[in-house]
Amino acid sequence: MINLFHLSVTVNGTLYEQEVEPRLLLSDFLRHDLGLSGTHVGCEHGVCGACTILFDNEPARSCLMFAVQAHGHKVITVEGLGTIDRLHPLQEAFWEAHGLQCGFCTPGFLTTLVPFLEKNPDPSEEEIREAISGNLCRCTGYQHIMDAVKLAAEKMRD
Amino acid sequence: MKLEGEYTFNGPREEVWKIMRDPDVLVTALPGTKSMKQVSENEYDGEVNIRIGPISGSFNGKLTVSNEIPPESITLTIEGKGKVGFLKGAGDVELIDRGDGTTLMRYNGEVQVGGKVASVGQRLFDTVSKSMIKQGLDKLNETLQDRGVR
Amino acid sequence: MTKQFIGKRIKRNEDPRLLTGQALFVDDVEIPGMLHAAFLRCDYAHARILSIDVSAARERPGVVAVFTAEDMGKDWEPGPPLVSPPPTLQGVTFHSRRQAPLVKDKVRHAGETVAVVIAESRYIAEDAVEDISVEYDPLPVIVDLGKALEPDSPLVHDDLDSNLAAHLYQQKGNYEAAKAQADVVIKKRFYLDRGAAVAMENRGIVAHWDEKSKQLIIWDTTQAPIAIRNGTAVRLGLSENQVRVIAPYIGGGFGPKMMMFYPEEILIPWVSMKLCRPVKWIEDRRENFYATTSEREQLHDVEMALTKEGRIMGLKDDFLHDTGAFDPYGLTLPLNTQCHLMGGYDIENFSSNCTAIFTNKPIVTPVRGAGRQQGIYVIERMVDFAAKELAIDPLEIRKKNFIPPDAFPYNNVIVDQAFAPLILDSGNYLPVYEKAVEMIGYEQFVKEEQPRLRAEGKHVGIAITPFIETTGVGPYEGARVQIETSGKVYVSSGYSTQGQGHFTSFAQIVSEQLGVAVSDVRIVTGDTAEFHWGTGTFASRGAVVVGNAVHAAASAVRQKVLKLASKVLATPEDALELEDGKVRIADIPHTSISLGELAALANPLRGAVEPGTEPGLEATDYFGPQYGATAFGTHAMIIEVDTETMMIEIKRYIAVEDCGRVLNPLIVDGQIHGGVSMGIGNAYYEKLHFDENGQILNASLADYLIVTAYEMPPRIEIGHGETLSPLSKLGTKGVGEAGAIPVPALFAQALENALLDYDLEILETPLSPNRLFELLYKS
Repeated sequence: MINLFHLSVTVNGTLYEQEVEPRLLLSDFLRHDLGLSGTHVGCEHGVCGACTILFDNEPARSCLMFAVQAHGHKVITVEGLGTIDRLHPLQEAFWEAHGLQCGFCTPGFLTTLVPFLEKNPDPSEEEIREAISGNLCRCTGYQHIMDAVKLAAEKMRD
Repeated sequence: MKLEGEYTFNGPREEVWKIMRDPDVLVTALPGTKSMKQVSENEYDGEVNIRIGPISGSFNGKLTVSNEIPPESITLTIEGKGKVGFLKGAGDVELIDRGDGTTLMRYNGEVQVGGKVASVGQRLFDTVSKSMIKQGLDKLNETLQDRGVR
Repeated sequence: MTKQFIGKRIKRNEDPRLLTGQALFVDDVEIPGMLHAAFLRCDYAHARILSIDVSAARERPGVVAVFTAEDMGKDWEPGPPLVSPPPTLQGVTFHSRRQAPLVKDKVRHAGETVAVVIAESRYIAEDAVEDISVEYDPLPVIVDLGKALEPDSPLVHDDLDSNLAAHLYQQKGNYEAAKAQADVVIKKRFYLDRGAAVAMENRGIVAHWDEKSKQLIIWDTTQAPIAIRNGTAVRLGLSENQVRVIAPYIGGGFGPKMMMFYPEEILIPWVSMKLCRPVKWIEDRRENFYATTSEREQLHDVEMALTKEGRIMGLKDDFLHDTGAFDPYGLTLPLNTQCHLMGGYDIENFSSNCTAIFTNKPIVTPVRGAGRQQGIYVIERMVDFAAKELAIDPLEIRKKNFIPPDAFPYNNVIVDQAFAPLILDSGNYLPVYEKAVEMIGYEQFVKEEQPRLRAEGKHVGIAITPFIETTGVGPYEGARVQIETSGKVYVSSGYSTQGQGHFTSFAQIVSEQLGVAVSDVRIVTGDTAEFHWGTGTFASRGAVVVGNAVHAAASAVRQKVLKLASKVLATPEDALELEDGKVRIADIPHTSISLGELAALANPLRGAVEPGTEPGLEATDYFGPQYGATAFGTHAMIIEVDTETMMIEIKRYIAVEDCGRVLNPLIVDGQIHGGVSMGIGNAYYEKLHFDENGQILNASLADYLIVTAYEMPPRIEIGHGETLSPLSKLGTKGVGEAGAIPVPALFAQALENALLDYDLEILETPLSPNRLFELLYKS
């Protein structure tokens, strides 16, 4: 018999309490137990970055964490950044600059970039490139993503 | 993948040879070995738990010895299979009397791996195999010394 | 055409959902009672199965069923072929061998499916996979393309005499005669190796058989939902209308998701029917390397005959092509390669033998470029070597040989992947080529910058590579356009989408015809319940084939609108215009009727209709091109090589594309950027490493290196040509794969140029820092 753990975690501002297996990955917990399927799983070995979420406001790979590690912590997923009716300026910028094609890697870029832009309101090209170097995208070749970040920085400064 | 190296044992060749052919010693020496049994003159069956980076699993294997020239040289052939992959390899081992009561062991062989362990563990093979071999030989050396030889 | 919408950089309709995590991908499908599948895959690349014991797995709590080939009974059989060889080719040898859903006799590549476990969760299913014991008899493995036809080679298929999968010969003119008259003949051997598509989303399938309604719904990451539906219906003994296949949002396709039927695509629906429960299988990344197709391995022996002025008189290329353990995709890849071996050059004599060979490696089917890279690599390398041999400027020799603009349509005679003779429909190559030369500042770089940098000890190189791309092939696609009473327009097509912006570019075509905002056009693709005639998303054909079908249907709706509005407004049709969702009288613009109102009038609840009328404002139309439209482009690059680390830095990158009429430049730019990033990966960072046991040594993203933002050039500068295709009303050509095609050849030229002092001759691709080091050290 597996010992279930009583997990208590705040996701996008809502407190969730649930019995989970210790080995349940955070990515699976968010996607399937909570139905927040915006966080995507690309590799399950921490390389592609599609599963990036904000863990206590810092970007982290949810595929490399167990849900129980989030006990008592605060998680923000892409669903917590903005809605279709109220897009985050970063989401707007991605839209305008064509920073996404298939959209699978996009949530991971967004969660990585939100804290980056908050700390670096006027980033240089080099700084942006470094900030996104840990996220893989197979569709865009990154150029429009770079454009989107520059545009977002502008929007967020205004 | 090539595996080659040298090791110095604190004991004479004959004793080193005896230990190498003793399954009860081998089972304590090789890291992760759960069991080892001599099933015929030249064959040992065993179960070993191997961990390479994020992959770990048990392997059922057969070790065959051949080309025996005691206490000088021997060829070891292994073949193992488990849930995380398979491996096969062969190597020549030479024991040289250094004339000061120690024995120089030279080994030279090749191992091929397949399955999960091959596709994900590649970059760690070298270090993990070296470390496993060193651990094993250190343990054998310890046993050699414990047996009251020098 | 008013050009109000077509050709504009319009934001995509689909983005808000994708940006907020509201878009449905296959793994997002959750159905109450859904079960999860995990596969037992064989680690050996070649092994006989002696016994399988699943009893322990079946007993694990949470496991609902375990199936092996035996358990499938008479439902077990190898999958249907996806593509057969062209009936129009003479003397073709083709041995069709297709993969079965679960292996029965012997495993032919590492990763083949031996058993499937169905459980309450994926976690339990994977645990149970480890409970299964299989006795294998490992067999000798053949992975070396050059050795696979030797008489003592292990046989992948025992019922054949050898590993020959196919052989075909194509010719144009008379190469031997041309060679006899030539001043110089250059001979080279090239080796090209495998790369994978690595879409960010792995494959997946959810099948839901509802026993009460006898309906099967399948969500599949496929690029060909209609073909999956039709094939699945036949296999499971259902009517096509009982099966609905949905390809929702897909995280990148790039070719391998076009391949069908994968074993999992056959099994999961079958299991759902057997258990009467929904079943989900999602591929993990490691499975993706083995179980999803890849391509590019070929070995070419090439000869080029030229005059001493550099005019190409003939080309001969005999090549081997690795098809992996099975060949469901027919001869598509080798034919694509053959059709690009002459590039955009006027070559009158051509001869090519292609031999496709079985090996114990995963199946080979198209990956972005689909065999075209290899053809372009060969011809461009040969032209480079010819230029060197004849001491002719590499740009001049190309200009001398380009197909001149007045020679189109240019008949290259040989048969292509669409079973038609390769006819290049239109083109104007020289200006596109020269634009690239100008944009990269070739003259100035070669005369001033490069010598200066070289004097400083830097290894900088420049390269310019032209290429053609056959696109927009048939057979056909269709679309239905309907104006709804809300005034919004609904469009459906049998096509599918993996990020190419179809929801926007096709909407632009409709907007152009009907005068509605792009955001008021709702496009549905990839759902067989909405539209069930079509082939699939491959060969850069969306803009051409679907675009023109959408155009035809939208035009037909426009005619209906005008006809009805003319009656309602009592005004002749030619005095009416469609704008802002209304029909107006041109000279009296305040007199108008909205499209929504017209749509309601077109579907009356009372009264009589005239004979021959169709209800509503709706039309369905199809487009099937006579043959594919051929695009042309030229890429140029300046790189610097660090001769200690062998790391490269791309200083500048130019891509000039002529893809006919551009529907949405923002989307086209995006396609080019993405293609170039895959091309750079193919050229210098990516390679599937197989060892002699058929094991992939780098089956993870940590070791299979796809390009990050760091490996890209600072900016890809894009130029456009626009030679309309005469084959369709829109004049579009495809561009989806273009970015990736010339890059390996471009890199070879650039590296040789950068390392001029090493006198390097590059005859292979992909390269890598390690490999470059070996080549330099050797030379």
